[in-house]
Amino acid sequence: MSRDEIKDVLLEIIADIDEEADFAGLDADAPLRDQLELDSMDFLDIVMELRKRYKLQIPEEEYPQLATLTSCINYLEPKLQTV
Amino acid sequence: MAAYQLLIIGGGLSGIAAGIRAARFGLNTLILEQHHRPGGLNSYYLRQGRLLETGLHAMTNFAPPGVKQAPLNRLFRQLHLSRQRFAVHEQLGSEIRFAGRSLRFTNEIALLEEEIAREFPEAIDRFRRLRSAIAACDPFAAAPWRSTRQFLDQHLRHPLLADMLLLPLMIYGNAEEHDMDLGQFVIMFRAIFEEGFFRPGGTMREFLDLLARQFREFGGELRCRCPVAAIETDGDRVVGARLESGEVVAADTVLSTAGLPETMRLAGWAGDRDRYAGRMSFMETISFVPRAAAPALIPDQTIVFYHHGPRFDYRRPEDYLDTSWGVICFPGNFSGLPPEDAVQIRVTNAASYPLWRGLAAEDYGPVKERWTQAAIAASEEIVGNYRPSIVYQDSFTPVTIERFTRKAQGAVYGSGIKLRDGVTPWTNLFIAGTDQGYLGIVGAMLSGVTIVNQHVLR
Repeated sequence: MSRDEIKDVLLEIIADIDEEADFAGLDADAPLRDQLELDSMDFLDIVMELRKRYKLQIPEEEYPQLATLTSCINYLEPKLQTV
Repeated sequence: MAAYQLLIIGGGLSGIAAGIRAARFGLNTLILEQHHRPGGLNSYYLRQGRLLETGLHAMTNFAPPGVKQAPLNRLFRQLHLSRQRFAVHEQLGSEIRFAGRSLRFTNEIALLEEEIAREFPEAIDRFRRLRSAIAACDPFAAAPWRSTRQFLDQHLRHPLLADMLLLPLMIYGNAEEHDMDLGQFVIMFRAIFEEGFFRPGGTMREFLDLLARQFREFGGELRCRCPVAAIETDGDRVVGARLESGEVVAADTVLSTAGLPETMRLAGWAGDRDRYAGRMSFMETISFVPRAAAPALIPDQTIVFYHHGPRFDYRRPEDYLDTSWGVICFPGNFSGLPPEDAVQIRVTNAASYPLWRGLAAEDYGPVKERWTQAAIAASEEIVGNYRPSIVYQDSFTPVTIERFTRKAQGAVYGSGIKLRDGVTPWTNLFIAGTDQGYLGIVGAMLSGVTIVNQHVLR
């Protein structure tokens, strides 16, 4: 998967989790949680959805690497290479 | 591999919410419900063509869509239900009435502040500081039990105002007698005074249908009329459940929402079950009155909390029923509901489980009738006479509650001792719902969600 495709998947997952998610003006390098007012429960859903779709196991200690859109893409790029 | 990855005992709100979470992420999930329909404490029944709700007076935690961190909206996101498409009706207004004193409140806490300034001008500054102190609390952080009574004494220094504020918060969500854990007080203060009361559009039937449909759409299986006889264990693990029919259902993980004492019984969990049985139970008296004959107060009040006597003491009564304090609810009085031909009046009073349980079969009916009349008479002192106009009447007691919900001793708020982390002596048996500790409809569902998130999904 390309970086752009990963980005699209992430935004699609977030939009599915939160019907009110507003991506206008989203800064890819600032924390997603603050910008989208997500909490730890929503965050778990992103992880669970990635697991469901791509059988990805993301250990809890690596959650901080999913803080921003850019860091998510950096983290997922090697893992989704063959998808 | 077991037949199910997750087996949930109890199709009440916590069980269905837990099931939706697990099924949503692909776990093969089964909910077993003993009754012929789901809902548990918050279900409904049909009598003479009328639908009667069992538990619901109002839902707490009102929040409009868009307030993302509000418990109600977090819950909807977790259940993958659209909050925008969920129609709600806010309360018209409620009142706390003690002898000669009254505090009205709505979903705008400014009204409560005005009312306190009017009724107790000497305490309004301290009430404002109390609100700040409450806002600074994190009720979900692990903390030892703290006395709400002491907290209120210290901040309000006004026993009557403290009693008046405590009445709705205790009666809608306190499992303990006399006092209340500060964390629970903070949760209830926010749920009722800061956020407020509402009803879903439609009845509990539509709400339960919405939840059950969501569970099934994610692939979950809900079986009704399937009482569980035992939780099967093997060493430090549970392996499934044996139904009363004799059938055994194997599962990787079991989540019990039947309450602590009942779960202890089912699993053969050694310990003093009575210690974990809550002492607070209630009798509910439901009357229908033609709209034309409805008392004068009814048009603009949703819920009235009343108390007579010197100090308010929240406890199991010494008699069958204590009608000196209670709740009177008009479920038809929410904003935007179409007027119905018959007005419903629900009266709730604290009741003594052991006395009701101890009645001989032939005495139960007459005693229930006598106390039904006492509850109606007590409520008439508050809202005006309606007894002569009653066209339909029904009531249920702590014994009824225990029979239909398995909540030991009919304790609707469960054990006074909560198991916040949901963990049991078995590594794959967890507790959710009332005895995990989040109460009310929104609370129960968040309990199911939280326990599945913590112990099943990761």
